[in-house]
Amino acid sequence: MLRTGKLLLTFGCLLAAGLAFAAKPLRINGSTTVNPVVAEAAEILRAERGLTIHVDTQGGSSGGIAALGDGRAEIAMISRPLEDEDRTRYPKAHFQPIRIGSDAVALVVSRDVWVGGVHSLSKAEVQGIYEGRIRSWRELGGSERRIVFFNKEPGRGTWEVFAHWAYGDPQKAPLVNLPEVGANEEALNKVASTQGAISQLSSSWADGKRVFALGIKKEDGKVVQPALTAVRDGSYPLARPLQVVTDGPPRGESKALVDFLLSPRGQALVEKHGYLAVSGKAAAR
Amino acid sequence: MIEAAPLPAIRRRRWELTRLLSMGFASLAALAFLGMLALFAVQSLPIWRHAGMDFLLGESWFFRAQRFGVLPMVYGTLAVSAVALLTAAPLGIGAALLTAEVLPRRGRLAIKTAIELLAGIPSVVYGLLGVLLLRNWMHRLLSPWEPLSGDTLLTGGVLLGVMVLPTIMTLADDALSGIPAAQRLAARALGLNRAETAFRISLRQALPGLASAVLLGLGRALGETIAVFLVIGRQDNQWPQRLLSLQPLTGAGQTLTTKLGGSETFLAYGDLLHWGAMMGLSLVLFGVVALVNLAGARLAMRRDGRA
Amino acid sequence: MRRWLDRGFLLSVALCGAVACAILLGIAGAILWRGIDVLDWHFLTREALGAGASGGVLYEIAGTLILIVTALAVSAPLAMGVALVQVVYVNGVEARRRLLVALYMANAVPSVLFGVAGLMVFTRFLGWGKSWLAGGILLGLMILPTLSVAVIERMRSLPRKYLETAAGLGLSRSQIVWSVLVPQSAAGLISGALLGLARAAGETAPILFAAAVFSGAGLPSGIRDSPVVALPYHIFVLAQDSFDPAVESHLWGAAFVLLALVLGLSLAALPARLRLHEEAKNA
Repeated sequence: MLRTGKLLLTFGCLLAAGLAFAAKPLRINGSTTVNPVVAEAAEILRAERGLTIHVDTQGGSSGGIAALGDGRAEIAMISRPLEDEDRTRYPKAHFQPIRIGSDAVALVVSRDVWVGGVHSLSKAEVQGIYEGRIRSWRELGGSERRIVFFNKEPGRGTWEVFAHWAYGDPQKAPLVNLPEVGANEEALNKVASTQGAISQLSSSWADGKRVFALGIKKEDGKVVQPALTAVRDGSYPLARPLQVVTDGPPRGESKALVDFLLSPRGQALVEKHGYLAVSGKAAAR
Repeated sequence: MIEAAPLPAIRRRRWELTRLLSMGFASLAALAFLGMLALFAVQSLPIWRHAGMDFLLGESWFFRAQRFGVLPMVYGTLAVSAVALLTAAPLGIGAALLTAEVLPRRGRLAIKTAIELLAGIPSVVYGLLGVLLLRNWMHRLLSPWEPLSGDTLLTGGVLLGVMVLPTIMTLADDALSGIPAAQRLAARALGLNRAETAFRISLRQALPGLASAVLLGLGRALGETIAVFLVIGRQDNQWPQRLLSLQPLTGAGQTLTTKLGGSETFLAYGDLLHWGAMMGLSLVLFGVVALVNLAGARLAMRRDGRA
Repeated sequence: MRRWLDRGFLLSVALCGAVACAILLGIAGAILWRGIDVLDWHFLTREALGAGASGGVLYEIAGTLILIVTALAVSAPLAMGVALVQVVYVNGVEARRRLLVALYMANAVPSVLFGVAGLMVFTRFLGWGKSWLAGGILLGLMILPTLSVAVIERMRSLPRKYLETAAGLGLSRSQIVWSVLVPQSAAGLISGALLGLARAAGETAPILFAAAVFSGAGLPSGIRDSPVVALPYHIFVLAQDSFDPAVESHLWGAAFVLLALVLGLSLAALPARLRLHEEAKNA
């Protein structure tokens, strides 16, 4: 009995001490596309300046906004433009988006589809696949195989950019029953390991070995590849900004991170992970 | 037991610190659990007001359009659990018959030990094996039915079956071993062989205990999240087109638990109606699991003769 | 004819037993075999780097240990209280039975519900953000029934003569509790605790929402906004990304460590458990 009492007392003292000296960490939440850059920046800042930074990607872009609006995070990472809907959902917050780079959303397919001859799709064809009207790759010039569309969860920035392009507005996108994937890693994994698969994914995650990024066939018949050059000059329609968002202007540790991301070193990280820097520079492929 | 014969002339002070302390701690524990239930009930009010019975009977779930119907997820939960029981119950009871009726004492102890240990394997480990191994096997196995991938309700069910197998086996063995050895010896002495002894003496009497074992295994299967989450495909609104069609089993699906364990819970966090729907899911899950376990526990008590 | 039935019966149950054992041993064996390649001193003492593609699981192990120790601290006193109430302080056979049924039901609550409730209570109501303490409390509640039942069974199997002797010596009820019941049932608490902790160490769903993050957390410093990284959650997130070969071997190693921890705790509880089974049968 005495032993337990002493144990509890020690525990209680540790708790109290912890409470007294609690250092408030910088909490970051959001998109898995922006995550590699911010996570690496956080590691550098942790090592160099001793900042405590927690990065979390459980809800994707929309989860990041929700965390920021709820006060559960200081910085949100989003891989899409900030929408009016975000602001109306959290009227008390003053969201300030800061662009740290650009990226392209590509439709990626598994190896067998690419090898089977499908290298690009038009918007009408994509709509047909999404809505279940086109069911086999044969109808698109490929081999006889069922199309498996892994849909990004509707909360993900990648999905919102896709819906904007395909339907003009995410609200107008039809309600469909498709298998869903969450993080970029999961989408990559599922597409790579399933035959006849297609999904929405950041183009820099398509390595050309396991998954392949399709080009977009425009109305005039020309095909645009999801290359960063096409993003820069605006010819690729599924381009998107990569942003970090704060509530009000960034202060203190948030400012330190944002400044770092916009500095040459931070922008070098953006390029390193395959995205376009704010200035339009990209790493040599 | 303290209650059997009252302890004679025990001095009880009018108030006892120990009693207060124990009651206090026990009340705290009870409060925590009841509080959880109350939390689910209260926070799910928005969805009951919004949809009422349509929530329970609705066939589609599209949160962006504020359509919330749990039927496909209930179907997923039941389908996955049914497959799990169909794989685990025969195997488990058969193996329990082996340990309780056939094997000598040492053999029984060895196998029981192994099974009890393996019952503790974490569900995330089962999930990992499901992702890395089972999924591909099932994809190949189901190829005549052209599944989209290895992530199907069937895969989830089989994985779940392997997970509850130790539970059913241990409980079934307990039930069968409860039959006094004297009865078995008498039966053998009268000339019955092992099979007949097992069927006519042990199985018949142990039936409540076996039923309880299966029910408790079912209870565990119903509540499992992580392992199923990784191999089920998490596709909403999978609902059989025709009555009694088995087609959905070869496709991806969603259960009550996988929905709750997914990222929609985070998305729903700030939205009153959406969160209400998730709480409604929690309530439904709670109710289903509670019912099944209540039945199983009652049968177990009858088996043990605990009064 | 009867002999064929008998032979058939023996064959089928032997088959069932063999299949069951093969499956379960195969699972454990696969993890042990694949994981052991990755395991070395570095793996256990370095933190995870590169989103799991390299490094070790040092902080994950620490996080898991922190969570289960907290769970024990929360659960033990509550479990003792519940056990004492069930065995000593509640009067009436019916009430006692109802309490036991309630414990069984509490044991069956799906773990994801603890996680979801924790998200609301700890992250929103209390404003803790993600906290190791929230995880510890949730896990403690989850294993509370296991501990309680273990202590209750132990108390019930105490020889009556201990209690009769104590009463005969004139001890009051609370004196009997403290000098006879509690010390004698410590073994039950320990074995129940080991079993409960084995389960708590491997659970992902309760800590998924309110306690664990995937990366960026070392040792917690305070209660609010102090998440931990834990083995089960680490494996869970990486399992969804298992196509990268480097990550895959890291995964097997992490699974090995988790399995070793859980099996170790279960093994420690085993002698007491088996003894309890036999005692209950012979009583």
